[in-house]
Amino acid sequence: MMFAGIDVGSLTAEAVVLRNGDLLAHATMSVLPNPVDSAREVLGRALAEAHAAPAEIRYSISTGYGREKIVDAGLAQENVSEISCHGYGAHCLAPNVRTVIDIGGQDAKVIRLTPEGELQDFVMNDKCAAGTGHFLELMCRALDVTLDELGPLALQSRRPAEMSNRCSIYVETEVIHYLQRGVPKVDVAGGINRSMAERVLALVRRVKWESEVMLTGGVAKNPAVKAELEKMLGVRMRPVKIDPQIIGAYGAARLAQRKGGAS
Amino acid sequence: MIAMGCDIGSLFAKAAILEDDRLRASRIVRTTGNIGREIDALIDATLADAALTRDDLDLLVGAGAGADLVPGASFCENETTCLAAACAYFLPDVRLLIDIGGQSITALLLDDEGEIASLMRNDKCASGSGRFLEMMSRKLLIDITDIDAIVDQATAPVSISNQCAVFAESEAISHVNENETPADILAGICRAVANIVAAQCRRFGLAEHYTLTGGVARFRSVTDRLGDKLSGAHHRFPFDPRLATAIGAALLLDED
Repeated sequence: MMFAGIDVGSLTAEAVVLRNGDLLAHATMSVLPNPVDSAREVLGRALAEAHAAPAEIRYSISTGYGREKIVDAGLAQENVSEISCHGYGAHCLAPNVRTVIDIGGQDAKVIRLTPEGELQDFVMNDKCAAGTGHFLELMCRALDVTLDELGPLALQSRRPAEMSNRCSIYVETEVIHYLQRGVPKVDVAGGINRSMAERVLALVRRVKWESEVMLTGGVAKNPAVKAELEKMLGVRMRPVKIDPQIIGAYGAARLAQRKGGAS
Repeated sequence: MIAMGCDIGSLFAKAAILEDDRLRASRIVRTTGNIGREIDALIDATLADAALTRDDLDLLVGAGAGADLVPGASFCENETTCLAAACAYFLPDVRLLIDIGGQSITALLLDDEGEIASLMRNDKCASGSGRFLEMMSRKLLIDITDIDAIVDQATAPVSISNQCAVFAESEAISHVNENETPADILAGICRAVANIVAAQCRRFGLAEHYTLTGGVARFRSVTDRLGDKLSGAHHRFPFDPRLATAIGAALLLDED
């Protein structure tokens, strides 16, 4: 029996196909202007990867931008908020997780879960680029490195450069000044990642966070931000067994399985 | 009495020479890297414009973020004191001064003696600052000095909902991709700047007489829209509004 979850975000769209509870296939792509088109395309790709026909999907759930329209277009039977999908996805991967830190390209969320995986509380920053993936993208441009290179570079830093600003625009100027003054790239990268972690920490502190903690979203792939956050919180992050960028779609698919499988 | 005020800001350095209350000369330069040498050159060039030498100066006052870098300064004064002094001297009726600088927004509430009764300063976030406006016009390939001429051509200003400069920039780019005209996008951005500035000054309530200084005050595309948000009469600063701090510095007397 197969189930699907579709998550259309601000920058990327993901789809997950489950068979008998196992992750059978997933797809990720950059979004198209219309969320319904993104959903159709990304689901098509995941189904192709799974060698499955649309009719074989017993139940599917959409989440993210335009999730109602995706249901109206017949691509999903139901829509659920991204926070709930995200939380449930994390719960299914690791039932002891109580706090999910999700850092995406345009926002950052911290979700608190009950032991049953239900949503207890959440905070979100989508007003300020500091502490989101966008911040790191800007800094990578200033440092002239790729996003994938930034984390490993920062891990080599022994003396991370002190960033006195919070605003992304002003930190970018600081980064340029440090480089002009000949501060090693690794230390500037270290300072960037520490600044990022500090902003995320401020958000985490706004919910009464509890262990275990899981870090998801694109930034979870940055080992330096993860290590810095672990140091600041004094806990180890629960490892994510699947691509940390597909947790929302995975949660949607697991919810589809719970709801559709029971009916 | 001949005094020079030297205001070293985050993006620009400004110098003004006052002989009593007459502006003898002024200069504004963009700072790049070697700031010490740039300030020296700025002082010399401004003195040359007024056909003066350093010996003719009774007073040299440093102000702004880099005030302590002004060589040979008689003393240094913070920016808000200078702004208040300039306002009290040239615009005695004004009770609210809003300075929109390259990296800061400052609002001063002045009492009847021209002293600062209350102040708000945001230099933590680029939202609504000169830097914000500069980023957006650069993205649209528009020279910042052409803003008013371009915005005048707007027919249907877009809405910019983000306050964060980074997100607003993405929003502006998405409007470009939707084939909105640069004039309509820029008009939307000017309105956003006005809204952000007005929101930050809201706690000061309404002042019957206000003035606007700093680089952004040069653009009526912003000041007119800000005027719609602030009730009260706008008193135009009588010189280039970027010079307000430097002029105020030159008006200050050494109290030691």
